[in-house]
Amino acid sequence: MIIVIDGLNRHRYNRLLDEMFALRARVFGQRLGWDVDIIDGKEIDQFDALDPAYVIGLNDAGNVVSCVRALQTTGPHMLSDVFHDILDGEPPLRSATLWESTRFCVDTEVLDRGNSRNSVGYATCELMAASLEYAKNSGISDIVTVIDPVMNRVLKRSDCAPYGYVGSTKPMGKVSAMAALLDCTDERINKIRAFAGIEGNIFVSAQRAYELSDDHAPTGPAPTAAPVTAEENVRQLLEEYCVDQITDADTVEDADAAKRLTRLLVDAGMVDSKHG
Amino acid sequence: MSVIDLSNLPFPGNNLRSFLDSVCEEHELDFAAYAGMDPIAQTIHGFVNYPDEWQTRYVSEGFQHRDPALLLASRSIAPVDWQRLRGESTFQDIFRAASDHGISEQGLTVPVRGPYGDVGLFSVTRNCSDREWGLLKSKILGGLQTAAVHLHDNVIQSHSLNRKLNHPSLSARELEILQWIAAGKSQQDVGDILSISNRTVEVHLRSGRSKLGALTTPQAVGRAIGLGLIHPS
Repeated sequence: MIIVIDGLNRHRYNRLLDEMFALRARVFGQRLGWDVDIIDGKEIDQFDALDPAYVIGLNDAGNVVSCVRALQTTGPHMLSDVFHDILDGEPPLRSATLWESTRFCVDTEVLDRGNSRNSVGYATCELMAASLEYAKNSGISDIVTVIDPVMNRVLKRSDCAPYGYVGSTKPMGKVSAMAALLDCTDERINKIRAFAGIEGNIFVSAQRAYELSDDHAPTGPAPTAAPVTAEENVRQLLEEYCVDQITDADTVEDADAAKRLTRLLVDAGMVDSKHG
Repeated sequence: MSVIDLSNLPFPGNNLRSFLDSVCEEHELDFAAYAGMDPIAQTIHGFVNYPDEWQTRYVSEGFQHRDPALLLASRSIAPVDWQRLRGESTFQDIFRAASDHGISEQGLTVPVRGPYGDVGLFSVTRNCSDREWGLLKSKILGGLQTAAVHLHDNVIQSHSLNRKLNHPSLSARELEILQWIAAGKSQQDVGDILSISNRTVEVHLRSGRSKLGALTTPQAVGRAIGLGLIHPS
């Protein structure tokens, strides 16, 4: 199933976004070897600050298994600002009815190889169909998508061959990248759905969307561990902070200062003495 | 009546209001409104074809500072259906007031993002049932997207600094296609000549029109010739 997270609802989905950025780090940083910035195991770039729309695929347990990011081509986007190599120095396409899709990926470590709903093939087709449907329902007629040759082959095999390309294939990390054109027509969407056997609505219901949000307390069996209270949480963070300050100190003075601060906090009863 | 091509008209003038009227007529809508923020000129433009009393009340009550149709839609890349905003208390306040003036809460806002951090918000309304609205929307959204960007680009480029920055940068492919169109070739002919699909020609033409601020291909050809980007044949 698919959820769309954009600038309007992203404050409610930090868990899903973090999982998505972690997936992108594994795929683009490690597997494809692109030159991307990874901080705390998450791949986030300047375009993530522009309130793009993320189309995200989830498994039945509600974990992220695929994702793609969309931006308008009328404003700043990757082909205009970062991927100009691919365009051979030419200016990018710009149109009200053309979106750019980037960072398309699926979790090949979690998904299996078969034809089930938990396969790489199904997740890929579901994400492609969903992103085309989301664009089409927004009045968009075409998508220019930055992909690698493997993804290009997947598109062709899934009865979703691009109708054209712009620029040319350029080396990028361990693989290369290219910009392909896809139309957001019912014809293409139906072909992808038929290929993977996808039926019915693939987007989450309002109820499911709420259950997936950060503010929803999970129902199901009660957790065995005692719930962490806000106070315990603060205590733990403070302890971690003290340990970090002491271990990360570059000079003797810094280490002494960190130890003095820790003793102060211990005396005040705000952290346990084991770190003092 | 089709939508007015703003680039055909002298600017500025009362044309923006007529543009809104023509969009409403073409797409079976009651009212339309545009608000644009230009960080380079440091200006906010707004014009609407709502009834005058509602415009006055909207501004006097300062609704523009808390209208979720403006504040939230600018954070979306897709048109925001106001149905999505019905849970916001400010939305309820504003639309209770709007209904006094015959303005329905059935509407949507198309966000436009320009290259220099400029943002335009193009809103339309139509008093009808949810079902009718859904059908109308799927029919007109593509046209509204194009109208919104056309309107926004023309407003932004009315500022001279932006006009200089925005000198149309067409790719070799876009110019090649416009040159063949200027020579009288059809879209299909051009695809055959260049060995690319018809739709690739189409997507480049749409991009070329957008960059040249034109709504139609003949207008784009005319402008490209005027700018010396292609040759008359």
